[in-house]
Amino acid sequence: MTVDPRLAPTGGSAASPLLELDALSCRFGGLVALDQVSFAVQQGEIFGLIGPNGAGKTTLFNLISGLTPASGGQVRWRGEPIGGLGPERINRLGIARTFQNLRLFDSLTLRENVLVGLHRETRAPLVEALSGNAGFRARQAALERRAGELLALFGLDARADDSAANLSYGDRRRLEIARALATGPALLLLDEPAAGMNPAEKDELCALIDRLREQFQLTVLIIEHHVPLMMRLCDRLAVLNFGRRIALGSPEHVRHDPAVIEAYLGGQASAAGERR
Amino acid sequence: MDPALLVQMLIGALLGISVYLPLATGQLTLATPAFYAVGGTLAALLSTRWPVLGARIDGSFPLPSFLLELALGGALAGLLALLVGRIVLRLQGIYLAIATIALVEIVRVAILNLPFTGGAVGIFGIPQPFPSAAGYLLPALALLLLAGWVCQRLEVMALGRAMAAVREDELAARCMGIDTTQVKLTAFVMSAVLAGGTGVLAAHFLNTWNARQGSFDSAVIMLAFVILGGSRSWLGPVLGGLVLTALPELLRPVGDARLVLFGLVILSGPALFPQGLVTPGLLERLGRLGDPAGRPGAEGSRP
Repeated sequence: MTVDPRLAPTGGSAASPLLELDALSCRFGGLVALDQVSFAVQQGEIFGLIGPNGAGKTTLFNLISGLTPASGGQVRWRGEPIGGLGPERINRLGIARTFQNLRLFDSLTLRENVLVGLHRETRAPLVEALSGNAGFRARQAALERRAGELLALFGLDARADDSAANLSYGDRRRLEIARALATGPALLLLDEPAAGMNPAEKDELCALIDRLREQFQLTVLIIEHHVPLMMRLCDRLAVLNFGRRIALGSPEHVRHDPAVIEAYLGGQASAAGERR
Repeated sequence: MDPALLVQMLIGALLGISVYLPLATGQLTLATPAFYAVGGTLAALLSTRWPVLGARIDGSFPLPSFLLELALGGALAGLLALLVGRIVLRLQGIYLAIATIALVEIVRVAILNLPFTGGAVGIFGIPQPFPSAAGYLLPALALLLLAGWVCQRLEVMALGRAMAAVREDELAARCMGIDTTQVKLTAFVMSAVLAGGTGVLAAHFLNTWNARQGSFDSAVIMLAFVILGGSRSWLGPVLGGLVLTALPELLRPVGDARLVLFGLVILSGPALFPQGLVTPGLLERLGRLGDPAGRPGAEGSRP
């Protein structure tokens, strides 16, 4: 096995943030999806991204994870520019993501979905894998255990051998997070992980994300529409509207930002809010 | 049953697996006949033109030379796949299928027109490593078992899981850090190596070889192997290859109507068994029969 690139020393200084967006722009033809968005995510924080529909949140995720090329600006990972790298390279650097419109491997079992995430560790020497000798079986057993543990974190271990297609909506979201975690990320991008969950499940997920941060020393960048949940969960928030970052700061700060209130409630209502 | 027909059926099964392998990564390529032709032409040329291999005047051929040809045929086809795959695997869906049909045509026209491949007549009098058709059963079966074993191992290997992931959702697979280009190329090369080796076997078995051996028509028939048999397990194309190769011969007594019947089978197969004859559900049931504990997720019962 080669050295894990995440453990290799990077050129960036120790003080540089984990992820830094520098005047990031994205245009689709005449549509400006993102307009000079800048913010930095520090190691270990849960950073929230909120904004009305169409504000460019998912586009931002697509840019960070390498699915969409940026039209301008730069993404820096531990101080190094990563713009232009493909999604597989970005994942190997330690950035994993989930998808708003779930993209599971439906015909595979839950366990296999997670094993795909673990694939960099599942690479056995070819001869070993073909013969299926004791070394391979031991490695395989260890991996299946790892996969089982990851599934257990999300309460999915009992269904490990079910096909992913048979899961409920909420469980599909959980499985996507488990699969992303399996790739061993330092930064987890969660795109509306609580969508389709009931309030109790949302609370549970909230606690779980917090716990995952501790357990895996994760940094989390999360998109979610449920604002109260975000206020509770996030250390800091950025608010996007029409592709522009209109606010940045602690939940308390963002909550009282007039630009945010206007974006969410409209100009009239913001006046009403001030009267209250 | 006639041993010659059995050998043909096994060759059909091998070519079925060759079409199945790229399909297991979700890539529809019809390049198998091109690699089959490359292997066959190489074997025909080497065994008739290269005395070092030891073809004798009575038409016999040493077995080690045959095995060497198998390796060379597989290697040459694999090399060609490596070069071509880098380019054509950028395409997807129907565009990839068309590009690989073009490859089949290029190889066919090249073999037809090269000064040393015998033109339209081809190369004949290819020496025989085995005294009778029955002798070819053993290498054909060995090749099929080898291919099947590799496919079976893939089910539990990281590469096999990566192939399934690429088939299910290439974009999500890339976001899991899987180099999907590499995975697709590997499957394409494996497919080519198998087709090339099968071509070597077929060239000796058929005794003559010409450009008609690897044509677009045969690509469609090979695809029918996978469609009828099912594309979710390597057993599908094996079954499809065996059945669809045997059928035209078994139907010979009905005369000209056999082609109509053959066509009906190909048509009704997908209509009656949209997932093919060998489906994940069938394999699961078979797996449970073989394993009384019924451990789901064990090697044999993977959906």
